[in-house]
Amino acid sequence: MAKIEFRNVVKRFGAVEVIPDLNLVIEDGEFVALLGPSGCGKSTSLFMLAGIYVPSGGELLFDGHVVNEVETRDRNVGVVFQSYALYPHMSVRDNILFPLRFKKTPRDEALARVTAAADLVRVAELLDRRPSELSGGQQQRVALARALVKEPQLLLLDEPLSNLDASLRLSMRTEIKSLHAQLGVTTVLVTHDQIEATTMADRIICMRAGRIEQVGTPDDLYLRPSSLFVAGFIGSPPINLVAGEAEDGMVTVNGARFPVEGASGSLTVGLRPEHLRIGDTGFAGRIAQIEPMGREILYVVETGMGAVRVLEQGSSAGHSTGEQVKIGFLSENSLVFETERQKLIAGAHVREPV
Amino acid sequence: MAAQAINTASTAAFDRAADWDALAVRARAVRRTKAVVLYAFLIAVSLPIILPYFWLVTIAFSARAGVAETAVLWRSMAVIMPVVVAFWLTVALAQSRRQSWIGIAAVAAIGVFAFALLVGPDLHLGNFIFLWEPDFASVVRSRIGEVKGAVQFPNVWHAFANSILIAGAQTAIVVTVASLAAYYLSRFQFPGRSSMLRSLLVLHAFPVLTLIVPMFLMLYWIGLLDTLFGVILVLVAFELPFAIFIMKGFFDAVPWDIEMSALTDGASRRQAFVSVVLPQVRNGILAIAVFTFIRGWEEYIFVFTFLIRNSNWTMSLYMYWVRDDVMGVDYGVVSAVGVFYLVPSLILYMAAQRYLMQMSIGGVKG
Ligand SMILES: Nc1ncnc2c1ncn2[C@@H]1O[C@H](COP(=O)(O)OP(=O)(O)OP(=O)(O)O)[C@@H](O)[C@H]1O
Ligand SMILES: [Mg+2]
Repeated sequence: MAKIEFRNVVKRFGAVEVIPDLNLVIEDGEFVALLGPSGCGKSTSLFMLAGIYVPSGGELLFDGHVVNEVETRDRNVGVVFQSYALYPHMSVRDNILFPLRFKKTPRDEALARVTAAADLVRVAELLDRRPSELSGGQQQRVALARALVKEPQLLLLDEPLSNLDASLRLSMRTEIKSLHAQLGVTTVLVTHDQIEATTMADRIICMRAGRIEQVGTPDDLYLRPSSLFVAGFIGSPPINLVAGEAEDGMVTVNGARFPVEGASGSLTVGLRPEHLRIGDTGFAGRIAQIEPMGREILYVVETGMGAVRVLEQGSSAGHSTGEQVKIGFLSENSLVFETERQKLIAGAHVREPV
Repeated sequence: MAAQAINTASTAAFDRAADWDALAVRARAVRRTKAVVLYAFLIAVSLPIILPYFWLVTIAFSARAGVAETAVLWRSMAVIMPVVVAFWLTVALAQSRRQSWIGIAAVAAIGVFAFALLVGPDLHLGNFIFLWEPDFASVVRSRIGEVKGAVQFPNVWHAFANSILIAGAQTAIVVTVASLAAYYLSRFQFPGRSSMLRSLLVLHAFPVLTLIVPMFLMLYWIGLLDTLFGVILVLVAFELPFAIFIMKGFFDAVPWDIEMSALTDGASRRQAFVSVVLPQVRNGILAIAVFTFIRGWEEYIFVFTFLIRNSNWTMSLYMYWVRDDVMGVDYGVVSAVGVFYLVPSLILYMAAQRYLMQMSIGGVKG
C-alpha cells in the first residue's frame, strides 16, 4: 500500500507538453478515478506512475520518497492495460505466474498464489487455456489476477472495462469495487466514462488537456461542478447550459428571463434534466421530442431559451409531442457560472420565473 | 375471387422458378467451363515443372554404363504423365474433401504400382558410388578405359560437412544479428533511422557479382581468402539487410502493451525481450532461418571465387567439379550427385513450409 503524490509534474513528448503541471495526492488505500476526454493525458499520468514514462519535470513520490528514477520493475505496481496485454504464447497459469518469476518466489508458493489469485477473480477453471481461447471478460479477469498476484502496492487500471459489453461492464464494476474493499490496495482507475468513475471511485480527478479541472467525491462533481467543463462532462443525459446577461437581479437568456441571486454580468445557467419537472409553474415551452429510456422519459422541450432536456420518472409518457407545457425547478438545484472564466459562482442561483 | 388470386400468384411463382432454373443452368455451365480451363492450365504448367526433377531422380537411379536409359525414361514418363493428369482430374471432379483424398490416394497407389512394375526392375544404387568411393572419378573413367587426368575429389561427406557448416553458421549469425537489429529499428527512435531503413533495401538491390572483385581483395588483405569463415562473413553481409527488413515487419506487429506489461511485471528490458517479444516473432525467425540456410546451402558464386583448396569444397563446388570431370563420361553419377545435393533443401522446405507461408513483409514506417 502506498500514498502517491505528484508535485509539479511535467511531461513532454518532444516539443509537445502533454502535462504542464500536475499536483495531486492519492491517499493510502484510496480508490480514485482519473476521468477525462480522450487525449487529455490520463494514460500518460498512469504510465508515469508505472515507471514506463519518466516525468520531464517535477517529482513523483511514493510514501514520501521520490521515485522519478526508480525502474518500473522495482516499483511493485500492478497494471491492467486497456488491451489486457496478456502474453499470447503462455497459458493463463503462466500468465499469472509471470510476475512471480522475477521475484524468485519458490515454485510451490508461487503456484499456490496463482491459484489464490485465480480464485479471487473466478478464473480457476481456465488456468490451462490460452488467452486467445478466452472471452473478453475472462481475459480481463486474468489481467486483473496477473496484476494482483504480486501483491502490488499500487494497482493501475487503464480503461479496464472499455472492451466489454454493457452487462459485463456492470458486473465487473461491482467486482472490481469489492476486490478493492477486500484488498485495500491503492487503486487508480483511468476512464473516460463518467458512470464508471462515479460508481466505482471514492474520489474523482477530472482532467482536461493535461490539467486537473476538479478533484472531489462523485457528489461534489455532480452537485458542485467547479467549471462548465466538469458540469458538462458529468451527468447523463447532459446538463442544460444556456448563456445570458444578468442585470438588476434578472438574467435574460435569449427570450426567457429568470430572477438571479448572487451574480451579475455574463452568466451561464446550468439546469440538470433530472432537476427539471413539467408542471403548472415555470417557463413555457412546447414538447418537440419524447425519448423513452426505460424507467425514465426524456423530453426535449422547445422554449424561449432554446431546446431544453427534461428527465421525468416513470415508464410511460404523461405528455405528448406538440403539447404546450411549463417547466419548473427548485432554486437550490440550479447552477450559475461566469461565462468568461467558465467557473462556478458559489451560492448563486436562479429561480423559476413567475 | 380468392381462388383466382391464388391461381395468379402461383403462376407468377412458377414463371419465376422457371427463370431461376435457366439462370442456374447457365451459371453451372460457366462455372464448369472455368474449371476446365483452370485445370487444363494447371496440368500444362505443372508437367514442365515436375518432369525435370522426375527425370533427374529416374536417371540417378537407373542409368547404367554412364548413359541415360532412354527406354526407362519413356516408360517412367508413361507413368508420370497420366498420374499428373489424373491427379488434377480427381481434384476437379471430387465433390467433397473426403472424395478428393480417396481419389488422390487411389491415383498415388496406381502410380506407385505402375512405376514399380514398369521401371522398378531397372533401378539400382550404382550411381551413388561417390558416397563410398572417394576416388570414384578414376573408377568411372576406367570403365571406358580413360584412366588419366581425373580430378582429385575430396570425400563427399567432407564437402557435405563444409556446406552444413557454412549454411549453419551463416544462419546462426544472421538470425541473431537480424533479430536484435530489427528490434532496435522497430522500437527505438534515433537519428538516421529512416535513412537506415531505406538503405537496407538499396543494399539488397545490389547485384552481388558487381562486388566480387573488391570482396576478393578485402578477404585477401585480412587473410580470410580460402577459408570457410571468410565466405560465411561475406554471405552474412549480403543476407543481413533483407533479413533485418523482414524481421522489422514482424516486430512492428507485436503490440507495445505486452512489452510494457512485462516491465511492470518485474522483467528487465532484456528479460521482456527474450520471454515476451521473441516468442511472438517465432515464425519470422523460423522463416528467415530457413531461407538463409537454403541460401547458404545453394551458394555457388562466392564459394567458387573465394575457396580454392579442395578440402574447402562445398557441395556446390563438388557438384560443379563432378559435372566438369565426369559429364560426358557418366550422366548417371552426375544425376546422383544432383539428387544427393537436392535432398537436404527439399526436406528443410517441406518441414518449414507451414512457417514460410506466413511470411509477410511489413511496410517501411519512418
Ligand atoms: N509517445 C507519445 N509521443 C507523443 N505524443 C504522445 C505520446 N503518448 C501520448 N501522446 C499525446 O499525449 C496526449 C495524451 O495522451 P494519453 O494517451 O495520455 O491520452 P488519454 O487521456 O489516455 O486518452 P485516451 O482516453 O484516448 O486513452 C495525446 O494528445 C497524445 O497524442
Ligand atoms: Mg489512454
